[in-house]
Amino acid sequence: MDVGSAVFAVSCNGTAATGTRELQKEQQLNRFLAEVERRALRIAEIGVRDRDEALDLVQDAMIKLARHYSGRSQEEWTPLFYRILQNGVRDWHRKQVVRNRVMSFFGRRASDDNDYDAIAAAPDLAGRAPDEELQNREAMQSLEIAVHNLPARQREAFMLRTFEGLDVKGTATAMGCSQGSVKTHYSRAVHALRDQLEEHRPDDVIGGEVRR
Amino acid sequence: MKSTDEAFSKRAKESFDETVEKLDASTLSRLNRARHAALAEMQQPSRQWSRWLPATGVAAAVLVAIMVMQNPAGFDEPLPPAVADMEILLGEDSLEMLEDLEFYSWLDVVEQENDVG
Repeated sequence: MDVGSAVFAVSCNGTAATGTRELQKEQQLNRFLAEVERRALRIAEIGVRDRDEALDLVQDAMIKLARHYSGRSQEEWTPLFYRILQNGVRDWHRKQVVRNRVMSFFGRRASDDNDYDAIAAAPDLAGRAPDEELQNREAMQSLEIAVHNLPARQREAFMLRTFEGLDVKGTATAMGCSQGSVKTHYSRAVHALRDQLEEHRPDDVIGGEVRR
Repeated sequence: MKSTDEAFSKRAKESFDETVEKLDASTLSRLNRARHAALAEMQQPSRQWSRWLPATGVAAAVLVAIMVMQNPAGFDEPLPPAVADMEILLGEDSLEMLEDLEFYSWLDVVEQENDVG
């Protein structure tokens, strides 16, 4: 093999290796997003109480992660993804405040949170009796409203720790605060939610048995 | 954390997971499309120069405002060359022009050399 052929072969091998790495990265990111997307949607949906808006926020977070952070290690993706998503939810709330101010100036309200019922439209795949299904829906709806009404940082800490299952360190990265702050926000959130949902406890069916 | 708090979090998590499992086909399809749109972004070449466009626009607007304030009576006079250039840069074809900035600076040098010659 002459020198020119050898250089060409090395160049081709290098290009092929880069292509293979990019393909692997894309497959890894695809698996990561497929694994996280449904929970992310529900978390965003509880945050903004609108499925279409939540879908837009999740898509935006996916695109930003792919565009800016796909080169990072896989361990970093979950907190980074949720950091982007939580920033999106915060921005959405800021825009809503401005929108509501403008709408109230013209004597109208932009939206009424309590009208929204994300659970109601969903079919029951577990095939339960209508009464039990209704109680489950009501309990989850109460929980969603209570979580939505928490202060923003408590809501984020609770959803990331409880719903997504992030540890304290990952939650701190996602929220952009210290681990101590995460523990404080999370503890306050759990206590506030328990206090608020106490009235549902006689028929509390949040994932447990119906108490009669 | 107290065991009652842990039990509450566990029940909340189970309840949440149930709603995740119940997401309808239409929503799952939209999530799938969103994911593929994101993956397509990985293959797009980055456009670094486009990040500077908003800052360039603001800087140009400030420059024009300063020049107008310094010479408020001069509206009927022909625009000074710098403002005229800025007007061209901010026109509809400005993006292509920014991309060819290197070419235009070379052209400027050549013209100056011709003038001297």
